[in-house]
Amino acid sequence: MVEVERKNGEYVKIEQRFTSWRDLLKPVTEKDFKPGFYHYPILKRDAEELGIPYRDWDPLEPDWHLPEGWKETFLNKFKELLEKHRQFKVFMDICVRCGACADKCHYYLGTGDPKNMPVARAELLRSIYRRYFTKAGKIFGKWAGARDLTEDVIKELYYYLYQCSLCRRCSAFCPYGIDTADIVWRGREMLQSIGTVQRFSYISIAACARTGNHLGLLPGGMAASLRNAAEDIYDITGVEIEVPINKKGADILFVAPSGDYFATPHWYALMGYLMLFHELEERYGFTYTWSTYAGEGGNFGTFASYELAQKLSHKIYEAAEKLGVKWILGGECGHMWRDKHQFMATMNYPPPKTLEDPVNPITGTYFENAAEAKIVHIAEFVADLIEHKKIKLDKSRNDHWKVTFHDSCNPARGMGLYEEPRYVIKNVCNYFYEMPEHTIREKTYCCGSGGGLLTDEVMELRMRGGMPRAMAVRHVHRKYGVNFLCTICAIDKAAFPHLFEFWKIPVEVGGMMELVGNALILSDEEQERELDLRGDPLPGKGGEE
Amino acid sequence: MSLVYLKLFVADVLPYIAGVIFIIGTLNRIINWAKSPVALKIPTTCGQQKTLPFIRRTWEDRLDSPYTMLETIGRMILEVFLFRSLFRNTRYWLDKQRGVDTRWLWLFALAFHYSLLIIVLRHLRFFTNPIPGFLSWINVLDGQVAVVPSLYVTGILALVALFWLWARRILCSRERNISYPADHLILALVAGILITGNLMRYIFKVDLYAVKEVALGIVSFHPVSAAVVNQIGWIFFIHLTLVCVTIAYLPFSKVMHFAGVFFSSTRNMPNDNRAHIHINPWNPPYHGITWEEYYEMYKDQLDEIAENGYKVKPEV
Repeated sequence: MVEVERKNGEYVKIEQRFTSWRDLLKPVTEKDFKPGFYHYPILKRDAEELGIPYRDWDPLEPDWHLPEGWKETFLNKFKELLEKHRQFKVFMDICVRCGACADKCHYYLGTGDPKNMPVARAELLRSIYRRYFTKAGKIFGKWAGARDLTEDVIKELYYYLYQCSLCRRCSAFCPYGIDTADIVWRGREMLQSIGTVQRFSYISIAACARTGNHLGLLPGGMAASLRNAAEDIYDITGVEIEVPINKKGADILFVAPSGDYFATPHWYALMGYLMLFHELEERYGFTYTWSTYAGEGGNFGTFASYELAQKLSHKIYEAAEKLGVKWILGGECGHMWRDKHQFMATMNYPPPKTLEDPVNPITGTYFENAAEAKIVHIAEFVADLIEHKKIKLDKSRNDHWKVTFHDSCNPARGMGLYEEPRYVIKNVCNYFYEMPEHTIREKTYCCGSGGGLLTDEVMELRMRGGMPRAMAVRHVHRKYGVNFLCTICAIDKAAFPHLFEFWKIPVEVGGMMELVGNALILSDEEQERELDLRGDPLPGKGGEE
Repeated sequence: MSLVYLKLFVADVLPYIAGVIFIIGTLNRIINWAKSPVALKIPTTCGQQKTLPFIRRTWEDRLDSPYTMLETIGRMILEVFLFRSLFRNTRYWLDKQRGVDTRWLWLFALAFHYSLLIIVLRHLRFFTNPIPGFLSWINVLDGQVAVVPSLYVTGILALVALFWLWARRILCSRERNISYPADHLILALVAGILITGNLMRYIFKVDLYAVKEVALGIVSFHPVSAAVVNQIGWIFFIHLTLVCVTIAYLPFSKVMHFAGVFFSSTRNMPNDNRAHIHINPWNPPYHGITWEEYYEMYKDQLDEIAENGYKVKPEV
C-alpha cells in the first residue's frame, strides 16, 4: 500500500492487491462496486431519443433486468463489430500480456485495482471473445483464458469499461499498438445494444443530436451566451465586438466545444476567440461565423458508438455547406480533435464540394495537412498568424502567469499536435516551463475525467485517475512556481480545477486562447488595458492607482 | 520395436502434420483478419504531426507520427525489428509518484527474439545442401566463444532471456496476475526446445550426418528409413517433437503477434487523416436532424437571430 500526500498530514491510500490469473476471469459485481466508481444508468428520455433499449434498473441491485435475449443481442453485436473492424479483431488476438501497458494507465496507478490495467480491461472482452469465437476457448475454457458470458460479466463490463477515459496512453507503449480506447469503444457499443450504458455522456449526445450542442442550448441561448462574452470583452477592453451567428457567405465556420459558452475557465478562452476574430476582421476584413445548428465542436458520440459519433459530427459539414463557408476552424477541445482529425471526414465522406482549400485568408498559408477534411485547429491558425506577424502581442500582460502546458490526450496521441500550442504559448507569455518529460507529449497523462467520465458520481475515480498528472503539476509548481496550467481541452478545463482542489495544488487552469486574448493588442482599443480576461489587474497595472 | 516406429513417426510424419497445421492455421488467421475492413484511420501519434513549415519536426517525429508512406514503412520497420514502442517503456514509482525509463523488458525481449531468429537460421544448414555461404557465416559469428565444440552464444542467450521473461511472470506480482496458463505453456515449450537443443550439442551428442539426412528428407519429401533414425539419440526426437508441437500450436496462440503487428491500425497507417481522407466501406448514411428540420424546430429563435442581422452585439 502506498500513501500519496494531499496536503500536510492528509494522505490518499492506494492499495494494490494481486492474486492470480483466475481472478482476472472472475467478474466483479454490484457487491463490490464502490461508490465514486460506478456510473448512473442512462435516462429514459435519452434512450428513447437515441433508439437505445431502455429499462428501469439500478447498478447496485443484484437483478439488472437485462432485456430478453440479451446474450444473443450482445454476442451478435460482438460478431458484427469483429466483422466491421479489422483492428478490433487483431487486438482480440495478438496481445501477449507482456505488461508494458500495466503501469501506464492513470486509473490503475490511482486506484491500484489490477482490473484497471489496460491489459486487464481488454481481457474483459477477450475472455468472451475466446469463449465464443475461438476453438481453443470453446474447448479449454478458463485454461485458455475464456469465460462464459453471464449477467455478472455484463456487470463487470459496465463497471470497468466506464473507468477508462480513452486516452490511448497505453497504446503508445504497446509493442503491437493495441489501442485500449478502440477496444473499450467497441465494448461500450456492445453494452449499448442491451441498453446497459452510463447516463452522463448520453444526456449530452441526445441533447447534441436535438439542439446541435451538448449542453442543449437553444439558438437564442447560444446567441445570448456569445453576447454576454462580448459584453465581458467590452467591460475589459472598451471595444464593442459584433459576433456573427448563422451568417451566410462568411469565409470560415468556427466551431468550439459548447462548454466554452458557459463554464469557467472556458469562458476566458471564448473571449480570446472573439477578440482575435474581431481584430482580424478590423485589420484584414476576415469574415467568419458561428453556427447554432453545428454549435458543438466536441463529440460525445465518440465515447459511445460509431453511429452516434457520426450523428453528431455530420452537422458540422452540413452547416458549412448551408452557410457557404470556405473551410472550418475548430476551437480548443480534446476528444473533438480525435474526432475532427481521425473520424469526422471518414464518417461523413465525402465532405461538401462547396468547401474550398483551407488557405489562411490573412497570410495566404495553405494548410496542406488539412487539404481534404478542410478543418484547421485554432493552434495551427494562430501559430501561422504569429509567424507572419499579423497580430500585435504584448507578452508582458501574461507576466503574472508562470505557465505550464498540459498536452491533452487526444490532440497529442490522436493528432500529433505538440509544437503548435507551445509555439503560441511561448509567443504570448514570458514564463513557460515544461512538466517532467514522462508526463508530456506522447506520454502525457490524462486529467482523469475524459471519455465520458466527467460526472460527479465517479468523482473519486476521477481524482485518483488524475493523480499522476496532479503530481507532475505539483512538481513544477514547487520547482518553478508555476501558477497556470494551460490546456487546449474543454474537459481538462472542467476537470482540473476540481483535481487541483482535491490535491491542494494552487494552480489556475485556462486555455491557450485566454493567454492569446490577454496578450492581443486590439487596434481599436483606445485606453490601455488594466485587467486581464478574468477581471484581475494586469501585472504592473491597477495596483498603482 | 515400437520405439523405432515412434522415431520414424517423429522424423517422417510429425513434421508434415505440424507444417500443415501451421500453414493452414496461420493463413486462416491472416485471411480472417484481412476479411474485416479497416473502418477508421487511427494511428497513435507519438510525434509532431506534419504541419506548418516553421514548426519543428525531427526525424523521430517523422517515424513516430509518419505522414508519408515511406515514413510509415520506417515506423513499421522500427517497430518490428527494434521494438520501438517497448523502447519507450517507463516504470511508475508509486511511492515517489514519478516515472523513470526502464528498458529491461525491451532488452531481454530483443535478445530473446533475435537469438531465436539466429537459431532458426543456423538450423537451415541442416535443410540445405550445399549450405549457402551466409549460413556458414552466421555459424562462425555466433560461435566466437572458444570452447569445443564452439559455443553458440545465441543458444545460451535465448535461454537466459527466456528465463528472465518467465521469472518476470512468476516473481513480479503484476505480471503474475495477468499471466494465463497459455503464457506459461508457450514459454515452457520454447524452454524445452532450447534445453534439449543445447544438451544435444554439448552433452548428449547425436550423429549430425544422420540428423541432416532426416532434415533433408523432410524438405525433399523422401522419408528416412529405420536404419537412419536408429543412428540418432533419443534426445533429438524429444527436441523435434517439441518443435513440431510448438509449430502446430503457434496459429492458436498469442505468438500470432508476429503476423498481427502488421495489421495493427495504430502503427501501420500514416498520420495524414485530414490531408487524405480514409474511406470506410460500410459507412452508414446519416440518421439525424437535418438543417431544415432544425429550422422548423427552433423557428422563432432562429428568425430572431436573422432579424438582428445574423449577429449579436454587446448591450452597452
